[in-house]
Amino acid sequence: MKYFKKGQIEKIVDRLAEKADVFVPMLRGQQSGFFSWKSYDENYDDLIFDLLNVYSPPKNIVLPQTEKMYNFDQQGQEVIVKPEEIPVEPKVIFGIRSCDVKAIEYLDEVFLTRTFVDEFYKARRDQVTIVANACYNPGTNCFCKSMGVDPLEPEMADVILREVENGYVWEPKTEKGDILTKQIEDLLEEKEVELYELNRFVRKVNYDGVAEKLKDLFDHPMWERYSDPCQTCGICTYMCPTCYCFDVQVKNWGEEGYRFRCWDSCMYREYTQMAGGHNPREATTERFRNRFLHKLQFFNERYGTPLCTGCGRCIVACPAGVDIIRMIELIKEAEPSV
Amino acid sequence: MSNCSCENPLIPQIVEVIKIVEETPDVKTFYVQKDNGVPFDVMPGQLAMVSLLPVGEGMFSVSWQEDDHLQFAIKRVGVMTDELHNIDVGQRLGVRGPYGNGFPVEKCQGRDMLFIGGGIGLAPLRSFIKYCFKHREDYGKITIIYGSRSYDDLCFKEELFGKWPQEKDTQVYVTIDNAEEKWDGHVGYVPAYLEELNPDPQGMIAVTCGPPIMIKFVLQALQKMGFSDEQVITTLEMRMKCGIGKCGRCNIGSEYICLDGPVFDLAQLRKLPPEW
Repeated sequence: MKYFKKGQIEKIVDRLAEKADVFVPMLRGQQSGFFSWKSYDENYDDLIFDLLNVYSPPKNIVLPQTEKMYNFDQQGQEVIVKPEEIPVEPKVIFGIRSCDVKAIEYLDEVFLTRTFVDEFYKARRDQVTIVANACYNPGTNCFCKSMGVDPLEPEMADVILREVENGYVWEPKTEKGDILTKQIEDLLEEKEVELYELNRFVRKVNYDGVAEKLKDLFDHPMWERYSDPCQTCGICTYMCPTCYCFDVQVKNWGEEGYRFRCWDSCMYREYTQMAGGHNPREATTERFRNRFLHKLQFFNERYGTPLCTGCGRCIVACPAGVDIIRMIELIKEAEPSV
Repeated sequence: MSNCSCENPLIPQIVEVIKIVEETPDVKTFYVQKDNGVPFDVMPGQLAMVSLLPVGEGMFSVSWQEDDHLQFAIKRVGVMTDELHNIDVGQRLGVRGPYGNGFPVEKCQGRDMLFIGGGIGLAPLRSFIKYCFKHREDYGKITIIYGSRSYDDLCFKEELFGKWPQEKDTQVYVTIDNAEEKWDGHVGYVPAYLEELNPDPQGMIAVTCGPPIMIKFVLQALQKMGFSDEQVITTLEMRMKCGIGKCGRCNIGSEYICLDGPVFDLAQLRKLPPEW
């Protein structure tokens, strides 16, 4: 087994950062997320490889919260469009957990398959190497295993880190992973170490049959009842590692400007507001229902999997206490047709 | 600055507006051209994203394609279309596409065609109607039922009253909501007119587009007349941003209107949640 001592981790990140922009989990003030190692400041930031889920998911690395698409310049009736150059610097997401790796797999399905390839996403995604950190101790709101995610074997990872007594096992999985291994070879040692056992999950839910059952629950009064506390703030969608909806907007000064896209949320009325006034999902209940149906039924119908990796962030973040695990249980309990 | 590439489906091509036709007080048809040709080929019923660069982008059905231009009939309903209605010939616009499935023109071959439109809803139907006329021998009898609030609000008057009724085996029925002095034709709503005309569903395909309330009653009327769900086709509208099935918002159930639609038959629609 390839192994390194915990004290070596900064050296390893330093080394990887010679050839790539390395994103590591940090506590930055009160916030936690994946931030560039280049921006690390020991006076403000703490590296937190041992924390389970950082608050903000790393999806912004492949799908930035705002992203310029092209510039334009209109002179009289003439107009010129110039595409924005997409950064091609290699990136490493270092220490990402299984749930978030799985989320990138789902984003790949959305942006890279089904007729059209999203070139902006592809350019970023092609440059990303994933160094995952296996989870042995699920957190209080973790339920990844219930959603078909293996906390110990993140499938798409190029390298898997496994925390062991005093150190980490470094387990390359792909060609991209081998390239990183070569870069840090002198910092690794060969050593046989004992791996931990996976601790039990505090929270579990059974998703079996939910997608099928939801087909008969579209008009069920449960949606009105359970959407009642929802403030439609959209935090669940922003914190979700799998939510990918985006808006396209324009920024201009006079006749010159650029078009950009930015994360959007299905919880907002404007999301489906049409010119002329019609809105198919005008009410909170309709938007709340669409969010859960998209996650648990529609995405499953289109892509063969629910759009939830059990990271638990939406449960933690929701100011109104909406809990997707509880929602799945309520769906299972609901009697179709009232 | 170089002109944009077409390899990225989210980046528009630049086209020139070569002609603007004022159809009604709030509908204009824009003829757009790129290098004396079209930016891309479009099938009837397909969509394209049109942008007035400093203002915004909107998804519109292409209401007809000729060898050297595309036509978009656009109603003034919001910020972007307001600005569009103020441009002059010569203006450059952005356009990307084509998006969506379009009408099943081949599947309808050999059938009698019934087109039922209301208001600006005739714009997408027009691409199919004109396609039928262009390939006249492939289709049977053609019946067009169209209505608007008033005479002034009727789109494509020249074709509606001049050209289309001259086509072989073609009947055009026009109605307006309320009686007017300058109108001596039929008065009343489209669904009622349809019931009055009572077309025989035998071998016929009905294609309808219009305001949601009209579509609702037209579908009911067609069902009453004995049209099966597979014989009824409509096109749906949702807010769209990307056009390529990524941005999320135009879903009805697990279908994306921009990609899987906008054209569906009633049998397909009945499987979707009732958000259309």
